[in-house]
Amino acid sequence: MRSAARFDEVVHAPNRLQICAMLSAVDSADFATVRDGLGVADSVLSKHVRVLHEAGYVAIHKATSASRVRTSLSLTEAGRAAYEGHVAALQAIVGNGSSSARTTVQVR
Amino acid sequence: MESNLGQADLNAPIPPEEAASAIAAIDGTRSWLAGRIIAPAWYHLALGLLAGGVIAEAEARSWALFAWSVAAYTVGCGVLMWLNQRRVGVAMKYFDRCTRAIFTGHVLVLTALSALACWLGLDRGVHGAFLVAGVLAVPVTVAFGRWTDRVLRTRLQAA
Repeated sequence: MRSAARFDEVVHAPNRLQICAMLSAVDSADFATVRDGLGVADSVLSKHVRVLHEAGYVAIHKATSASRVRTSLSLTEAGRAAYEGHVAALQAIVGNGSSSARTTVQVR
Repeated sequence: MESNLGQADLNAPIPPEEAASAIAAIDGTRSWLAGRIIAPAWYHLALGLLAGGVIAEAEARSWALFAWSVAAYTVGCGVLMWLNQRRVGVAMKYFDRCTRAIFTGHVLVLTALSALACWLGLDRGVHGAFLVAGVLAVPVTVAFGRWTDRVLRTRLQAA
C-alpha cells in the first residue's frame, strides 16, 4: 500500500533520511552498522538518532553481551509511516510519483 | 501547511533538484546495505564443506562417525550464521516466499544427491559414491547461497 505523500522536516535532513532508509529495509541495525553506512562519527549519529527518537520515529535498544553494550536501532510504526510518506512526497516533487501521489502533500 | 504538487512545483517545500538528490541518497544507502548483507565467499564455501562432509563421511560406513559429522554440521552452521550476523550487524527477515523456495530447492537437491549416493553405494556397491556426492554438494551449496544473495540484494534495493 502506498503511503500518503507527506513532507517531513524531521526526516528530511540528509543524515536522518539515510538512517530511515537503512532502518526501513531491516528489522533493526547495530549502531556501528548505521554509522559505517553513513560514514559519520559516533557523536554525529547520536545527535541525529536522538532527534529521531524524540520524534518517536526510532527505537533504541541496548543489550549487554560479554560486558559490552551493543546498541541497535529500529524504526517505529510512526517512523516507518513518516519515512514512507516523505519518500512519496519526494517522488511527487520530482515527478516520479503515480497519479495518486500527485495529490495534496502535507508539510509537517 | 499544505502544498498542491499536482498544480505546480512552486508550492513544493523543496526544489525538484533537492528532492532528486535526496532520492539518489536513499538509493545509495540501500545499495550499500545490500552490499553489506551479501555473504562473503568463504561463508557459502564453509557451509558447502560442512554439508559435503556429512555426505562424504558415509563412505566410511560408521554410525559413530555419522553422528559426529551431523553434530559438527549443526554446530558449524550455527557458528557460521552467528559470525555472519555479527559481521552484517542487522536483523531482518531473510525468508520470504522466494528465498524459502530457494532453500527448499537446495534441501531437495542435497537429499537427491544423498539418495543417489545411497542407491549407488549401498545397493549397487559402487565405491566412492558418497565421496563424489559430498564433493558435488559443495558447489551446489555455493550456487544456492549465491542465488539467495542475489534475491536478497534485489529485494533490498527495490524496497
